[in-house]
Amino acid sequence: MSTSLGTVEERVWDALAEVLDPEIPAVSVVDMGMIREVSVAGGVASVVVLPTFTGCPAIPIIERDVSAAVAAVEGVSEVRVTTSFSPPWTDDRITGDGRRKLKEFGLAPPTGKGPVLITEIGLPAVARCPFCGSADTRAENSFGPTPCRALYYCTACRNPFEQFKPV
Amino acid sequence: MSKALVSLVTTLGDDELVLGHRHSEWTGYAPHMEEDVAFSSIAQDEIGHAAAYYSIAAGVTGGSADALAFGRDPGEYRNAILCERPNGDWAFTLARHWLYDNADDVRLAALEESSHSDLAALAHKIRREERYHLIHANTWVRRIVRGPVEGRTKLVDAVSEAYVEALGLFEPIEEEAAAVSEGLLPVPSAELMARFVERMAATLDELGMPTEAQRTTDQAAQFEASSSGDLIESDGSGLVAPPTAPAVAIGGRTGRHTDAFKELWDVMTVTYRSHPGASW
Repeated sequence: MSTSLGTVEERVWDALAEVLDPEIPAVSVVDMGMIREVSVAGGVASVVVLPTFTGCPAIPIIERDVSAAVAAVEGVSEVRVTTSFSPPWTDDRITGDGRRKLKEFGLAPPTGKGPVLITEIGLPAVARCPFCGSADTRAENSFGPTPCRALYYCTACRNPFEQFKPV
Repeated sequence: MSKALVSLVTTLGDDELVLGHRHSEWTGYAPHMEEDVAFSSIAQDEIGHAAAYYSIAAGVTGGSADALAFGRDPGEYRNAILCERPNGDWAFTLARHWLYDNADDVRLAALEESSHSDLAALAHKIRREERYHLIHANTWVRRIVRGPVEGRTKLVDAVSEAYVEALGLFEPIEEEAAAVSEGLLPVPSAELMARFVERMAATLDELGMPTEAQRTTDQAAQFEASSSGDLIESDGSGLVAPPTAPAVAIGGRTGRHTDAFKELWDVMTVTYRSHPGASW
């Protein structure tokens, strides 16, 4: 439950900072840059969400969680959550905090340059191992367990790991 | 405007949903683990894209994306025949994946300029994601074409088979004239097909498959002739054998599908039909 400090809009942002990505519960939707805008008028809070990947099965869950969190904010009587693809979510929207938290979670942050063809099997730019920090890693698959993850292997510490895909 | 928009996004969604379903059939069966993961993930992407297209249609008609995906009769689907063909072997799967994703890229590039701003934004977003599909397909095709003769021969044969049907992706959609004149579909299907043929001919030549490039040009000419007014209308039941001549599988855009589609539809919609109104 939010405090009564700040404007309603600020409290909405604070509440959103507590809404975690259902598939990567180490980061919030704000860390991931998924909130395009928040506006509050006459107690009606409007939130525009940018999904990371169009085919992400967590979109309805995120919409529900965002709606519930914002509805609990003091001064909000109604919530309108809209999903938009404009502008497209890109990985440079992830905040510095978000990148740090992804790494701590064991997921290499994206490069911020989008998919770049640099290897024989066509994987995007090499990721640093989130466990040992080595750049001596090998892309195994540009597809993984969710639409947003790619599979890598760290030659230095011999751990498989995943990268949040640049897009 | 609404009718043309619904036709356009439903057609796009149907291609993605049906091919996504076919890709998902490799889950647990692909020749090796990494490709099992890849096709499962590509399937999830395509089905997610279908959901986004259907949501635009549902916004106009007041229905739901789920009802469009799973609540229609087989003859109401507008996917191209190519998308519904059984997976066959790995060579056909790869050939189709390669042709479809290149065709889709040509189509998406045009749709980024659509007069419908939500559709244009969606096309732009999807195209960014689909680069992974293109890289995957292009890499495999190049690898196999440059590899041992057995794999190469299988792939060339599979491309020969699938290429003809890939042109069916550019069969004019219903309400095409309105969709084009209103700028929803900024480039007519015939022009998209010409761009696709041009793009693939060059790649095939590069891959040492010049015969296919020539053959495709011939097929394209036949297709344009046949699409000028000889399309057989859907009778509603919709399930007939694909046309044999000209050797281009057309009819998908008017709801004519193959027996294989009926089988796919039975599997794809069984849960939705068994539990009406269920949510999960």
